[in-house]
Amino acid sequence: MNRRFLIAVLLLWSLGPLMWQIYTSLSSDQALTQPFALADHRWTLVHYRNVLTSNPPFWRYLLNSLIVGISSTFLCLLLALPAAYALNRISTRLAIFSRLALVGAALFPYVLLFLGLLELARTFNLGNQLLALSLPYAALSQPLAILLLNSAFHDLPPELEDAAKLEGLSLFQRFRWILIPLISPATASTAILVFLFSWNEYPIALTWISDSSKLTLPVAMARIAGSSIYSVPYGAYAAATVLGSIPLVLLVLIFQKPIVSGLTSGAVKG
Amino acid sequence: MIALLLVPALLLLVIVFVGPLFRYAWLSFHADSVITGLIAVPNGGANWLRLVQDQRYWQDLFQTLRFAGVSVGLELVLALLIALLLDQRWRGRDVVRTLALIPWALPTTVMALGWRWIFNTPYGPIDHLTKSIGIGSLNILGDPNLTWMATVWADVWKTTPFAALILLAGLQTIPGDLYEAVRLEGGNAMICLQRITLPLLRPYILLALLFRLAQAFGVFDLIQVLTGGGPASSTESIALYAYWNALRFLDFGYSATIIMASFILISFICVLAWIALQFIIPTHSKSQGVVEP
Repeated sequence: MNRRFLIAVLLLWSLGPLMWQIYTSLSSDQALTQPFALADHRWTLVHYRNVLTSNPPFWRYLLNSLIVGISSTFLCLLLALPAAYALNRISTRLAIFSRLALVGAALFPYVLLFLGLLELARTFNLGNQLLALSLPYAALSQPLAILLLNSAFHDLPPELEDAAKLEGLSLFQRFRWILIPLISPATASTAILVFLFSWNEYPIALTWISDSSKLTLPVAMARIAGSSIYSVPYGAYAAATVLGSIPLVLLVLIFQKPIVSGLTSGAVKG
Repeated sequence: MIALLLVPALLLLVIVFVGPLFRYAWLSFHADSVITGLIAVPNGGANWLRLVQDQRYWQDLFQTLRFAGVSVGLELVLALLIALLLDQRWRGRDVVRTLALIPWALPTTVMALGWRWIFNTPYGPIDHLTKSIGIGSLNILGDPNLTWMATVWADVWKTTPFAALILLAGLQTIPGDLYEAVRLEGGNAMICLQRITLPLLRPYILLALLFRLAQAFGVFDLIQVLTGGGPASSTESIALYAYWNALRFLDFGYSATIIMASFILISFICVLAWIALQFIIPTHSKSQGVVEP
């Protein structure tokens, strides 16, 4: 019946704001004040040029976020994989308790941890170091990662590992050659979710990093926004918004399947 | 022996989650600010007494609860509608599912900046719209009665896809023949929703509700970038107030007290929401066995 209309509304609602940013980023300064009027020299790429040639250039923030995202994902998986495996091999009561604690930690509004983590950073001199950020990021995404990977290990038939044990494979060999390859879809989902979290994280990065060449993308955007609401170069902002969104839009389009399966299996099993 | 594999992850979790909470509990009974030379000095219950009498804290608490309640409520209703739409079969559904997920994936600060432009007076599209339909300029980000609604709007936009995805996962576990049975007995779509969909969806609604409620209660990024807590502190959230206290006023003892109070409160609210949901949505008589994943 009205399904087409509903779908159109859903798409307009989801993508409209982003479309408006693209539209703004391509409009000249005169056109910005009259967004619906026709004008000469309406379209321009000058905002993109400004953003990319500013100091530090905008791609620097994208690169910083990429570094933090990859190192956090790597560290998180390195710790979560063995833990998720072990969670199936300890006493049931302890495992149930651990899962409950992990669900609680996954629900926890982590922004409340910023002060304690800031003190940690000061005590151990971890401020202004991109790679150090992967410590809190790996820790904060640990609950979700362990839960997702644990349910993937749980779904494997136990005979598989028993057979490998009889063949004389050590724990590490079984892990490396049998278990890890079998749960790679769950690992991929987890990795993308952890990467997304680390790429987007704001409060911890805000308090840990102050050096402007080391800012991650979300903090850089907020710092750009720091000036007054009334006299702001919105064309440049919009260009920055678009540039900052492109990597994630691509990520969602390319990895839609593992993202959805990660979130959904988290819901179904958690 | 195998339990040793848990140790590294556990250690990191304790340092990052448990450590700060104990630290806050301890700090909340100490003065630790510029006045004490940033050294923690025990001050009994002075921080807690100050919290109880702090008008700004109570105002922020009210604003945070209003934000969390309204935006999570709207989100769940919209998410259910979207999930029902995306659960049906039609051409191009998978593409729409992917596109609808995009708002969730973008960094909050990036789109908060975008929303500031959309809500801008007089150049944003919303302002043009209200002027052209005769309401006139609303000055959305300058009017304390409207600004909080703008923050709700931006939050609903960003987080509804996540809730919709959770509910969609739930819908896909419901076997189709249950609906058949109701239709054979002459029930319509509304009865299907009441008797089957909502009861069987309850665990998923609960998950989405608790997760979103806790996250909305800690709202920080969105408010800081979209409104900076203004105008006149009318959108300031508890997390933002705790942040100002620590990083602007350099009062770590009081900041820790605010966070500790929030932590206790949000745990309490989550338990309440859990209990309330048991009453709001009736159990499906045959739900055992069906919802077991």
